[in-house]
Amino acid sequence: MEARLLTILILVLAFAAITIGTQVIRRRRNAFPVRAIRAYEALIPMVGAAIEANRPVHMSAGSAGLGGESTVLALANAELFYRVAQQAAIGATSPYITTSDTTALPLAYDTLRRAYQSRGRIQNYRSNSVRWYPAGPRSLAFAALLTTSLGVNNVHSNVLVGSFGPELALIAEAAARRDQALIAASDQLEGQAVAYAMSDQPLIGEEIFAAGAYLGDEASYRAALVTQDLLRWLLIVGLVVSALASVNPDVREFLGNLLGTLAGGR
Amino acid sequence: MGRLLAVLATAIAIGFGLFTLFGLVTDHPVLAGPTQFFLQLVSITIAVTIIIGIFNLLTVHGGRVRRRGPGWGYSLILVISTLLIILLTILERAGVLNSSPALTTILLEQVQVAIESSLAGLLLFALVYGAYRTLRKRVSGWGLLFIVVLLVMLAGALPLANLAPVAALRDWLMTVPVSAGARGILLGIALATVVTGIRVLIGQDRSYRE
Repeated sequence: MEARLLTILILVLAFAAITIGTQVIRRRRNAFPVRAIRAYEALIPMVGAAIEANRPVHMSAGSAGLGGESTVLALANAELFYRVAQQAAIGATSPYITTSDTTALPLAYDTLRRAYQSRGRIQNYRSNSVRWYPAGPRSLAFAALLTTSLGVNNVHSNVLVGSFGPELALIAEAAARRDQALIAASDQLEGQAVAYAMSDQPLIGEEIFAAGAYLGDEASYRAALVTQDLLRWLLIVGLVVSALASVNPDVREFLGNLLGTLAGGR
Repeated sequence: MGRLLAVLATAIAIGFGLFTLFGLVTDHPVLAGPTQFFLQLVSITIAVTIIIGIFNLLTVHGGRVRRRGPGWGYSLILVISTLLIILLTILERAGVLNSSPALTTILLEQVQVAIESSLAGLLLFALVYGAYRTLRKRVSGWGLLFIVVLLVMLAGALPLANLAPVAALRDWLMTVPVSAGARGILLGIALATVVTGIRVLIGQDRSYRE
């Protein structure tokens, strides 16, 4: 199948599933129950503990920013940070967001501002709670600055979800040395491996994008999650069928005939 | 009025987003020109955000120095370094400093890169600590599997003849399970990216409403 046609098919399918799913879930709240993700279950108590300790929550998206390949990841992170900041906004100490990509700065400012506004505490919002640290050639300068920042700001908990490489190990090690809680995930494989090994509760792969569905109760976020699962199952079926077709000539012939019929030929 | 502006901003964002998406997916000649123009606008906007970044850096750390907040000494060094580099760059561009290679290049290559390389060396210790932490905090089947695989990978990398079977096992691990797992994670992220992107494009993101 032509790649462009496949892209359009996936986009249309995703669009239809989200639209229909949102309407179904609005009518029947429990139509699609979601499995438990321990990291999201631990997140709110973690923020509560930070408020009680009167210490800040640190959130970082690493090098995820707008305008590039990580645009959607940055938007998904913004939703996660919004939920965390919304919980932390009732405390006396402001949570803060760090980023190594300047394009994420406006998004981070807006996320924190909206979180405080939703709690009716906009007067407590401080623009210096969003901090940019330059990444350096391999993001190690950013990691080094964060290791210092964790101690200087007496951080209680860290939510490091975004785009990190192996330099995440330095930040996670600094957090562990200071006995700070850590939830981490990355869209980069090296960063994800480090996050799995070193965080208290790891998030893996696409779970980064599910924050809205787990931490909120809006139908559209849950519909997106259901669509994600639907596409994943379709992909699994596609992979299994193509594997079978590669080893079995009968399956290959059957699929060829089926695709030919669908395309209107033969 | 504020509500009207929000609706207008949302309509513009969704309109531009859908237009660009159609332009990129269909590659239609009528849409190609405007699509490229929109993408160029993004590049210009990204350049502007660098100025926002420098402003953020100076205000956050300048404020800490003024308040004598915790770690203000580090902030002072950061502010001075930033201003010094900006000044040097201006002087180089104005032709006042003509050293070859440029002073800013020397600072970047001799200071920044050297420090980053030494930090890269520290990564190994942080990773070993991570492995230790995995076992200490979660003695689970997956944790043990992680440690066993890590040991096999490290042992397989040793240039010893007696460890040839371990090296073969390492190669198999890299080719089959590691590769499959990595692709699985990347495919999952790709699907989630598509779905989240569609949700944003059809105006279901929270930032449109607040």
